[in-house]
Amino acid sequence: MILLETENKIITDTLTYKFETAIGGGKQDSIEVTIADFDGVVYHLSNPNGDKTKLRVSIGLKFYKDLSEYGVEEKLKKIYEQYYQSPVEDGYNVTLLYDLTSIPKDFKPIVEKACMLKRNCFASVFETYFDAQASGQAGKRAVIHFRDDETMYVEAKKDRVTVIFSTVFRDESDVTFGKVFMQEFKEGRRRNQTAPQVLYTHREPPLELQGLDAAVGDNIGYITFVLFPRHILPAARDNTINLIHMFRNYLHYHIKCSKAYMHQRMRAKTSDFLKVLNRAKPEDKSKERKTISGKTYSSR
Amino acid sequence: MSTTLRPYLNAVRATLNAAMCLENFNSQVVERHVKPEVEVKTSKELLLTPVVVARNEKEKVLIESSINSMRISIAVKQADEIEQILCQKFMRFMMMRAENFIVLRRKPYPGYDISFLITNIHTEQMLKHKLVDFVIHFMEEIDKEISEMKLSVNARARICAEEFLKRF
Amino acid sequence: MADVSNFGVKPISCHAFNHDRSQLALSLNDNDVQIYKKSGKKWDLIHTLSEHTLKVTGIDWAPKTNRIVTCGADRNAYVWQLTDGVWVQELVILRINRAATCVKWSPEEDKFAVGSSSRMISICYFESDNNWWVSKHIKKPIRSTIVTLDWHPNNILLAAGCCDYKAYVFSAYIKEINAKPGATVWGKKMNFGNIMQEVVMPCTGWVHGVSFSPSGNRLAMVSHGSIVSVVTGGAELVGLRTEHLPFNDCIWITENSFVAAGHDCNPMLFTVDGGCTKVDFSCKLDQPPKAGGGGRAVSAMNMFKMMDKKGAVETGGKEIDTKHKNAITQLYAYGPNKFSSAGKDGNVIVWDAKSLESSIAGLRIA
Repeated sequence: MILLETENKIITDTLTYKFETAIGGGKQDSIEVTIADFDGVVYHLSNPNGDKTKLRVSIGLKFYKDLSEYGVEEKLKKIYEQYYQSPVEDGYNVTLLYDLTSIPKDFKPIVEKACMLKRNCFASVFETYFDAQASGQAGKRAVIHFRDDETMYVEAKKDRVTVIFSTVFRDESDVTFGKVFMQEFKEGRRRNQTAPQVLYTHREPPLELQGLDAAVGDNIGYITFVLFPRHILPAARDNTINLIHMFRNYLHYHIKCSKAYMHQRMRAKTSDFLKVLNRAKPEDKSKERKTISGKTYSSR
Repeated sequence: MSTTLRPYLNAVRATLNAAMCLENFNSQVVERHVKPEVEVKTSKELLLTPVVVARNEKEKVLIESSINSMRISIAVKQADEIEQILCQKFMRFMMMRAENFIVLRRKPYPGYDISFLITNIHTEQMLKHKLVDFVIHFMEEIDKEISEMKLSVNARARICAEEFLKRF
Repeated sequence: MADVSNFGVKPISCHAFNHDRSQLALSLNDNDVQIYKKSGKKWDLIHTLSEHTLKVTGIDWAPKTNRIVTCGADRNAYVWQLTDGVWVQELVILRINRAATCVKWSPEEDKFAVGSSSRMISICYFESDNNWWVSKHIKKPIRSTIVTLDWHPNNILLAAGCCDYKAYVFSAYIKEINAKPGATVWGKKMNFGNIMQEVVMPCTGWVHGVSFSPSGNRLAMVSHGSIVSVVTGGAELVGLRTEHLPFNDCIWITENSFVAAGHDCNPMLFTVDGGCTKVDFSCKLDQPPKAGGGGRAVSAMNMFKMMDKKGAVETGGKEIDTKHKNAITQLYAYGPNKFSSAGKDGNVIVWDAKSLESSIAGLRIA
């Protein structure tokens, strides 16, 4: 698996199962599931007031406050239509409610939408700025604190939209791994002319962020995506959002994978070294060897 | 194998052969104890002159010997940051398993990446020429392994970037 | 020619034979002394002497009086006597506070010398008045551990090899038990502890082995600097720097030739010219067999076991082709023209120099 999935697999599976049961007229079990996703996102699946015929899907995002400036509510309402619930469940930011007794036969689109809930929350920001760029309003900038110490900046300019991620490398060695990866991303554009330009700065924020008291530190990296109009055309837009909003997770996932692979190699090599060392131990040839029936070999 | 590696390893092998002539030796200083003299360094006359075999500034081996123990410290080639990290991780990984390795020292000698401490007990339990073989094998493999690991990190990074950017 | 006996994989730290070579005492690098009796081609364990509380470092077996003396890292020495089929030990008060390293009976078996890490030599003799072994110390000018000792045939002089890069010839004359000795080439004045000669090794190295020639006029020494050297009493040292690994012990075969052995696992013969002005390398005594033996068949199970443990089917690469597979630790005078060697590989090998002479082209032992 090289690319991460945009949707949440557990939501997909659970909803599909629930809806299938509902349509087939099977017995609904009660549900109470909490699911964690990337970026500290928490999903909660439950039956409101213990009513097994209703299914509630809630999402909690720490940075929902940042998003609400960009009309996230309006956008979600448009996407989820009648399923969008207001007021939301306590402790969460968005709630969808499905009545299991009135699920349409073709429920696939509903599931597909539901499992993209997190992505759709993110999308509101991007869409706002993509629209802004398209209509020629430049100069605005959004700051989303999508993790405790990591921030995303989106800015619309005259001819492009820039998305900047700040990311923290918890481990010292991750910084180096990160550099290797980012180097490849930078160069990747040479092979893929259609790709956005990727820039990477380590320690210091890029010039665009001056005056925004962006964090500075040895273990901080800034990744800039420069999206050109062709990436934000209505046709390409969804795809761009899908990719961009997962980027941070994608990078860290692969750094971790690399490290796991290194570890595996080291383990193998270490046991190989041990074997070579074992060759130095002489064997006691005089040791008695017995067959399974208890007979003894003897040298003649 | 590159042209400079062979003579380098040959020199290390010859030095190890000569330095690994160890014998049982009870401490002159502490009663009823046997101490690796190369570590405690309490009797000057029991130590031999340390030897450094260097291939270049970064790749070298320090061989210190004494009457009953010897220490081999290896500086592994680290061309860039990523090799440095891989080397560091690898050495730490191995040193955490020092009890399996018996001849491995838990901490490297300052300025080197990994140290082996071989005592007369080891040369009694194990065949000396095989021990030398092991050290040489280690030196050969460690360079190879680190550069292979580095290549694999680079390859993964490239594939990741390509796959990601291709989607746009 | 060369009679190999194996005693397992543990190293043999020291060994000694009895008077008719039918029994062998050795220590497998632990606290016990084991006594084996020869039956046919095999050695059977008949006694285990367990009294030392740390590693046994030296064993010597007096041929005439049939007594064994042992010393160990526990700072003790014991004299063992066979009474009613049991070896009974007597503790010897060495008055040393570090490990004892080596022990040797004097030729007349009335005393023995013990070298130690406390930078001294104890000369021990039996005081019949007190029914007790007592010891006298030689301390000066020893600066480090004594690792090897050898008695002069006159029962008075004692050679010692030391870690301070020197070999010494001391007088170990004990007036209570010895008659007044006559002069030798090493000098006339023989008060107890007198240094007859001090030999500084060229190319500083610990003196691992010392040996008096049969006449007692020459002393051979081997040091860690891979140097073999011979000195005649009162004369200058003659040395030969060799290309081999350091030697651990040396022993004279005739008045003009001696054998040195050590980390090369191969006993080597050296010769001295009549006037003792030159030492020459003669040959290695362990010549590899010419024809290679057929490959040993590997059982399937063994093969997989090897693959798992060592990552290779065969124990890998080149085996060393000497009879000893690890360093030789000690040489022992076995008999006329014969000597035995013990190694860290658990082998005791008896070598017959005379029959080697016929098998090795150009070898003359004179």
